[in-house]
Amino acid sequence: MTAVAVPATRARARVVRPVLVRLGTSVLVLWGAVTVAFAGLHLTPGNVVDLLIGSSTVTPEVRARIIADYGLDRPLPAQYAAYLGRVLHGDLGQSYQLHQSVASAIGEQVGSSVQLMLSSFVLAVVVSVTVAVLTAGRRWARAVFSGIELVGISIPSFWAGILLLTVFSFGLGIFPATGGDGPESLVLPSVAMAIPVVATLSQVLREGLELTLEEPFVLTARSRGMSDLGVRLRHALRHALLPTVTLAGWMVSFLFGGAVIIESVFSRQGIGRLTLAAVGNKDLPVVMGVVLIASLLYVVINILLDLLYLAIDPRLRGA
Amino acid sequence: MSTNTRLSIGVSLLGVLALAACGTTGRDTAAGKAPAGPVKGGTLTFAVNTEPSTCLDPHQSPADVAGLFTRPALDSLVSLDGEGRIHPWLATKWTVSPDQKTYTFTLRDGVKFSDGTAFDAEAVKANLDHIVDPATKSQLAAGYIEPYKGSEVVDPHTVKVHFSRPYSPFLSALATAYFGIESPRSLKQPQDALCKKVVGSGPFVIDEYVVQKGITYHRNPGYAWAPEGAAHTGEAYLDKLEIKVITEDSVRLGALTSGQVDGIASVPPVNVKQVQGDPRLTVTTRQAPGGNYNYYPNTTSGPFADKRVRQAFRDGIDFATIVKNLYFGAFQPAAGPISPSTDGYDKTLEGKTKYDPAAAARLLDEAGWSGKDAEGYRTKDGRRLTIRWGFLKAFAREQRDTLAEQIQAEAKKIGFEIQFVSGTVNEWLEKYPKGDYDLIDFSWQRADGDTLRNLFDTSAIPTAAKFGQNAARLSDKDVDGWLSDALDTTDQAKRAELYAKVQQRVTDEAAVFPVYVFNYLLGTGKKAHGIGWEPQAYPTFYGAWVEQA
Repeated sequence: MTAVAVPATRARARVVRPVLVRLGTSVLVLWGAVTVAFAGLHLTPGNVVDLLIGSSTVTPEVRARIIADYGLDRPLPAQYAAYLGRVLHGDLGQSYQLHQSVASAIGEQVGSSVQLMLSSFVLAVVVSVTVAVLTAGRRWARAVFSGIELVGISIPSFWAGILLLTVFSFGLGIFPATGGDGPESLVLPSVAMAIPVVATLSQVLREGLELTLEEPFVLTARSRGMSDLGVRLRHALRHALLPTVTLAGWMVSFLFGGAVIIESVFSRQGIGRLTLAAVGNKDLPVVMGVVLIASLLYVVINILLDLLYLAIDPRLRGA
Repeated sequence: MSTNTRLSIGVSLLGVLALAACGTTGRDTAAGKAPAGPVKGGTLTFAVNTEPSTCLDPHQSPADVAGLFTRPALDSLVSLDGEGRIHPWLATKWTVSPDQKTYTFTLRDGVKFSDGTAFDAEAVKANLDHIVDPATKSQLAAGYIEPYKGSEVVDPHTVKVHFSRPYSPFLSALATAYFGIESPRSLKQPQDALCKKVVGSGPFVIDEYVVQKGITYHRNPGYAWAPEGAAHTGEAYLDKLEIKVITEDSVRLGALTSGQVDGIASVPPVNVKQVQGDPRLTVTTRQAPGGNYNYYPNTTSGPFADKRVRQAFRDGIDFATIVKNLYFGAFQPAAGPISPSTDGYDKTLEGKTKYDPAAAARLLDEAGWSGKDAEGYRTKDGRRLTIRWGFLKAFAREQRDTLAEQIQAEAKKIGFEIQFVSGTVNEWLEKYPKGDYDLIDFSWQRADGDTLRNLFDTSAIPTAAKFGQNAARLSDKDVDGWLSDALDTTDQAKRAELYAKVQQRVTDEAAVFPVYVFNYLLGTGKKAHGIGWEPQAYPTFYGAWVEQA
């Protein structure tokens, strides 16, 4: 090693190594997710062939044919190895029960779920930032809104959905009760799904804002003649955002889980209901496909969040 | 009636075959008095509580909702009216050979499938062969023509169907949507494609079925082969038909009350009175044929292996009162294993068994369950009288879980301890074929008296190799003999006599605890008219029309 080469190599290593570690753990997370799903489902009592046949009387030939078709006569490790191999090739397999490939089953449903999740995510962020900025440090507004937030966190989304439907769909007839056609059908489910997220986010955000508003640099900003709202938006919000962004990872999983309930209540298509049905029916390939997609989403979101921290907080850039 | 095919497993279900002797007349309309005659045009939106998410093709799927979804697009060879009579449809006439093993059908001329293929004898053969082909993995239809040997095309308009033994339920089976005639060109596709789209010659053509959303149809132009006895001939009235899937009871009801849909399946029993009281809405009930919602004791092991214990359970609990109070009269207490609208129902069973807790106590004493432990349960040789009930709570519909809890409380009064073994479907599927339970509950819809063979024949006892519905695991040579004799005769009076014997015997043996008769509760808005009924009690839309604004 020469004295000159060392700093350059070190500098590159400082960037490359964390990235490699990050990618490596991501792959581990994905592999773990598939394995856990596979193991979990196989440990559940019940025979896959019986599940395929369902409630009816079939001849032994039909039974043999199903076993052959689905390769269920092979030992467990072989089924597992084959699945891993196929996943690496991007093939999520064939659904035993839906009579279509897992990719197309998920593809058919994912659009509707993404619409719902995105719209409630945007709604939640807009509402909670607005509420937090306007109420932080203001005694009365704060008291009223924390009360509302507590209620928001406490009510089950199921019930909130029914309530929204009863008032705005069955009663006032403003929005359709079901279906996924057009933006008006997206309003009620997005609101129902956003309620608990808004309640949590605005509390965390307000807490952060209030802490920041007591910092000396805020006083400095004010003394320069900046308006109160300007101080809150330009200075305090940015500081308070950091813990909130961390929460975003949690939000993604929350929205994914919330979709199960909201999609059922509003009779919407989507991944949530697909997953629910697949788990109930022990539809192994679909469950594993959804798990894989969900963990992939998680990994991607977390990498994005890491990058977002750097954008928000300059102090982290040198680290 | 299954929520889906999985559910069908134990909890409810499927069913089919026909020959209904319904209390009401056959092709009556469901939607009340029409202000004027039918008008053509418009869209009818209907909401159902379940969907055939796994497969639309009724040749493959056992779910009755697969029949509901495909009936608008599929015609059958024959039709069945509410009185159990067979009428010509795609077959204009038929004869049965003297040995009753061969059926010869003369087919209608000029029928076209919606993909342009002509309907002929080859098409009939292709359909029946498709149903029994192991590759089809038929979960229901194939089981209903087990003795099928093959079809023989005599000429383009004549087809012979051969059986290995006389098989009297054949025509009524043929009348169901599960034997709906699909386009032979469409049948050449892989099975999976058929699960998404079914092509037939019916009054409607399927546009698209999207899982979790619903199915849409448009009118089949040029349709001119309605079954004999239909309220009208020619094309359907509706331009479009849309069936939505709304699983949540309160949301489905709300969609109806707010006019977002024209009709709904399964009005929640608790809301029936409310809907009836609403001048804009109508509730029509239709008694489903087949096995009632019954409890079946395991007659081969455990406390219920003793007939006296079974009798004590049946007679010591006031099932009728509990059912009346829980369902507000929407469902009637059942008197026997099958519903009054099933062909072959034995009316003499009504009033045969009575609620008599004193007699139940005597029977338990006789059977040796004479001790009592600290909690009030009966004991024998220090063992408590415990009943393990394989109950699938997750799939319980119509408040069957509440009902079960009330039964549990009543059973305690006469000294039975009921334990709910409420695992997952998978766990249940392991235990069921082994007979690892004391009590099981389900309903089994099928319009033919042959439903008794599904429920009580020795060959229907579930084993690891063969799934069956004889949950009581009853094996009675007389019962098997009567059921087999009933297959040999097409004489309705003789069949009814044989089926009555079976019903009497299983009642005497207390091999079934009848609970309630399932009614299809159809809710409709003011604008919808002319919704008809299939014999197996689900709505049809050929004669349906909507008032134009």
